[in-house]
Amino acid sequence: MDSQLDPAARWNLVDEIADQTVEYETAEASVADEIGQLMVSPWTGFPFAIAVLYGMWGFFGAVAGFFTDGYFVPLFDRYWLPWLQETFPLEGTWVYFVLVGDPAATNSFEAFGMLTSGLFIAVGVVVPALLALYFILSVLEDSGYIPRLAVLLDTFFHRIGLHGFAVVPMVLSFGCNVPGVEATRSLEGEKQRFIMMTLLSVFIPCGAQLGVMLSLIPQYTGFILLYLIAGFFVFGAVLNRVVSGSIPEFIVDIPPLRWPRPRPLGQKLAMRTRGFLTTGLPFVLVGVGVMNVLYVTDLMSVIGMAVQPVLTGWLGVPADTVPALVAGFMRKDLAVAQLSAIALTPYETVMSVIMISLYFPCVATFVMLIKEGRNSGGLTRVLLGSLATLIAALFIWGGLFHLLGIVMGVA
Amino acid sequence: MSDPSQILLVGHPNVGKSVLFNRLAGASATESNYSGTTVDYAEGDLVIDGDTVPIIDTPGTFSLDPRDRAEEVTVELLEDAADVLVVGVIDATRFERGLNLMLELIERGHELLVALNMWDQARRKGIDIDVDRLEWLLGVPVVPAVATEGRGIKTLQRRIDEAHAPSIEQVQTRIRNGS
Repeated sequence: MDSQLDPAARWNLVDEIADQTVEYETAEASVADEIGQLMVSPWTGFPFAIAVLYGMWGFFGAVAGFFTDGYFVPLFDRYWLPWLQETFPLEGTWVYFVLVGDPAATNSFEAFGMLTSGLFIAVGVVVPALLALYFILSVLEDSGYIPRLAVLLDTFFHRIGLHGFAVVPMVLSFGCNVPGVEATRSLEGEKQRFIMMTLLSVFIPCGAQLGVMLSLIPQYTGFILLYLIAGFFVFGAVLNRVVSGSIPEFIVDIPPLRWPRPRPLGQKLAMRTRGFLTTGLPFVLVGVGVMNVLYVTDLMSVIGMAVQPVLTGWLGVPADTVPALVAGFMRKDLAVAQLSAIALTPYETVMSVIMISLYFPCVATFVMLIKEGRNSGGLTRVLLGSLATLIAALFIWGGLFHLLGIVMGVA
Repeated sequence: MSDPSQILLVGHPNVGKSVLFNRLAGASATESNYSGTTVDYAEGDLVIDGDTVPIIDTPGTFSLDPRDRAEEVTVELLEDAADVLVVGVIDATRFERGLNLMLELIERGHELLVALNMWDQARRKGIDIDVDRLEWLLGVPVVPAVATEGRGIKTLQRRIDEAHAPSIEQVQTRIRNGS
């Protein structure tokens, strides 16, 4: 045992075995091969990619909206909320406040009790959004389109020190940052992994957050997304210069195009939805509970006063957004939903959502950062680096947006 | 051979290890059509002749000298477990480099059985592999398979206990005699 060949000798052996066992006939390129080729050549590939993105966005909005607005909003607003407000005992006590929320609220976003808004956000808004989004992501994954997108985008990613293949964690992060950060494992080199992990957790909004955004502020969602993605590339370019280390060249296989098979597609969809129901949903409910306890004990206003100078002075949003910031530590979807309870100008709404997206990863992503950071250049380096990046992003990228607002006369 | 303590599915990225794993263990590891879907291992159970043996789906690796974190996971799994049985998975359309990895496995003395996956695609591309001869040259069972459609899975399962650990010298001798 253990008599090892050097690579050259091994390849010679491979050649000899192949000589004795394999025959190649020339085969014509199949239709799938031809289409695959069109997807990676710039002149046809970019229009195709834009069409795919547009189609995805349309599908996401239509399907999520169909379930949320068509079924869950009437169900929760007309039946569940009034019934709970009526029948739940202990009105006026803190128990009622934590579980049911505002007894006079007329919609399920604003009541803000665990059993009203908590359930509504999780089941009524996030689940339909995730189902739609995960369906799209799974089709992209299984068809073999993602690696082709990687080839197409390789040049752009090179500018920020990454390879085209970095679209994989990026695309996954739009579903949920946690698997996105985990997927950075397949990137080579500590520098590349660090840059990607940081950019993902700072700039990419997750599917749950997108779902709530789409439901509350559909008119601004696309715009906010563009601003965040622009930030992704700008900060990537900066990090590429600042972070030491090199990024090794990378060659990746392009798998054949295939029709997604229904069974694995269904399995994936089921697995990811189950993942949300078992780990995400409890977080949303507990998050609402924690927020309400902070209100009842008046701690919320203490935190509000502490961070008000930054919020109002630098970013131009009222101190009322503090609860949303607190919620953002737990769940970004909850944080965005929280904003619906306060009166904001359009500028303040957009700024607040950008702020919530940038300022801190949710706790699940943070845990994954710790786990993966340990193997990508050391925990302290990754955590401090990510933290520094997110603070810089919040102040510079957020501040820049405030400046834009001032220049345009809306802030 | 005696019963292995573990069965490891080892192969390049995107050769279908997870699909094969799901078929063999009735599990639901995430399958995707691109490299690097499995970054950590997944464990399931395979029943051979009434005995249950743990079977492990590993992240794809190009060689046994790891270059990224996902590859390290695979190499560690191979090194840690004694009397582990390896199911080497090859994408038949990229036969040569898969074979290279199989030789590496043989050199390190692992009990091996080879699954020639994506057999249908190879045929369509005009690649014709003489399985019997390959089996004789390597000295380990070689089973053509189309994991996505479940073809070859039964044979693979049945022949798992024929897995064998030939020495690389034996392989070299047979090749010399064969040509």
